[in-house]
Amino acid sequence: MDDLQLLREMRSDVGSAPPATLARGREKLMTKIGQSSTVEETRPQATVTPIRFRRRLLFVSAAAALIVGGIVVADVVRPGAPGATAEAAEVLNNAAAATIRTSDPVLGPGQYLKIETQELTGGGAQTADGREVNWQETTAGQVYVPANRDGEWVWNREPRVPLESSTDEAKALAAEIAARDSYRPAGQPSSVGIVRAPGGAFYGNEPTAIIGTPLKDAGNLPKDPRALLDLIYERTKGAGKTPDSEAFVTIADGLRTGAVPAELRAALYKAAALIPGVTLSDRQATIDGRTGTAIGIPSPDGAARTDIIIDPASGLVIGEQSVLLNYLGSPAGTVTSWSSVRTSVVNSAP
Amino acid sequence: MSTDSDIIRRSRDSPAVFGQLYDRHASAIYRYAARRAGDFAADDVTSETFLIAWEQLGNYDVSRDDARPWLFGIATNLLRQHHRAEATVLKAAAKSAAREALADDSDRIAAEVDAKVATGRMAHALKSMAAIDRETLLLYAWADLTYDGIALAMNVPVGTVRSRLNRARQTLRTQFNLEKLSETENHHGRPAAAPRNA
Repeated sequence: MDDLQLLREMRSDVGSAPPATLARGREKLMTKIGQSSTVEETRPQATVTPIRFRRRLLFVSAAAALIVGGIVVADVVRPGAPGATAEAAEVLNNAAAATIRTSDPVLGPGQYLKIETQELTGGGAQTADGREVNWQETTAGQVYVPANRDGEWVWNREPRVPLESSTDEAKALAAEIAARDSYRPAGQPSSVGIVRAPGGAFYGNEPTAIIGTPLKDAGNLPKDPRALLDLIYERTKGAGKTPDSEAFVTIADGLRTGAVPAELRAALYKAAALIPGVTLSDRQATIDGRTGTAIGIPSPDGAARTDIIIDPASGLVIGEQSVLLNYLGSPAGTVTSWSSVRTSVVNSAP
Repeated sequence: MSTDSDIIRRSRDSPAVFGQLYDRHASAIYRYAARRAGDFAADDVTSETFLIAWEQLGNYDVSRDDARPWLFGIATNLLRQHHRAEATVLKAAAKSAAREALADDSDRIAAEVDAKVATGRMAHALKSMAAIDRETLLLYAWADLTYDGIALAMNVPVGTVRSRLNRARQTLRTQFNLEKLSETENHHGRPAAAPRNA
């Protein structure tokens, strides 16, 4: 075998993107195209980078938190130690304690853990006469995790719906986009409807607890918050805008799934409390009709902030939001997107 | 079937058409980026590549039917921001090959183990060469671009592509042959096959 041949085979086992990842990337691109095409003739401004809200596709890696682990000793963040602000650290450590008190739901045979998500995102399009129309739309989805996690998981993805308050024109454009999106190249599944996968491996991807660790191995992750955070830094090296914001987003990704076992959830909260720059954003943040405490980290350019919203009583993450801080004249505090998570136990799946 | 340049020309008037370019090439860009720097980086690089392509649509030379050199060129630039992830990937490849060599794996035939070990050496060689040579080599071997395509992608004359490729393959062969030789003497006691193109 010659050198080139060998090189060609090297890492040839790396597969292509899961169809759902590509579908999501396409959506992002088409949204951007819809928004930016009116300024096509202007020169690109070198100093302003558009904010791209990072929303990694997660395959809502729900897994029933069937294993409630041992006791996690609550660490106290030392005053003056580098990490989140004192207020944020207190909220996070309290959430960790609440998590341990309220154990995960126990499923009987045949029952499912139902994880409902609802997401608000921006939509936009350019009309035939070149005007730009923007609106907000919601997407809902439900994942059903069987009591036996090796069994068949069911994921229902609902179509995107523009808010009722949108203009008729926006609704018509959104319908047009939905029709276009329903087209998929041969071999690629649609992004709406029901998919099923044994063990939750939708599109061949095993659900993960944090990047690099499948959900079923969540118990092997370090229980010590510092060790856990170091591992997250290690695994996210080189990704994201800064190591700290990437670590925070990684933790938020795990918590958002609604399926990480309580013990790991508690450790993730405490790890988040060690990340420099993490602050208490809002004691009374309302998301999808529920109120919780928002903890966030600003983007390095200070333009926006990503928050997770915690129900202080249960220690559960009830959602996530992106908030504008200082961006192109938009009012500070504008929530540009949010997602909410609810979990319940049900007796059947679709 | 329309060419890439048809799509690009049409999408200047009807932006939605640009999605077709994504449908054609996103998967190849993703895989290339994932091979170089892992899934995590590939996710970012793929979406950024097409966003940047969209922003620079006006610069595309529509006399070129195939947009792949252009897209891989953008992706190559973006991958430079992920050099640490790439180093991690290569380090892991080198390491896993070393483990493979030591493991008592009687189920596997020796040739397969050899291939694994050789891959580890490739990883070493890739790590040790200049970034610009590695980019050129991988655009050739993994992205399957022609010399002309690489010249377009990296915005250099074809002659430069040739010399970079030569240099890169020299590094590869040196690493491969030297170690193959010492391994032959020390472990397996059978001659190494000469590279066909040596």
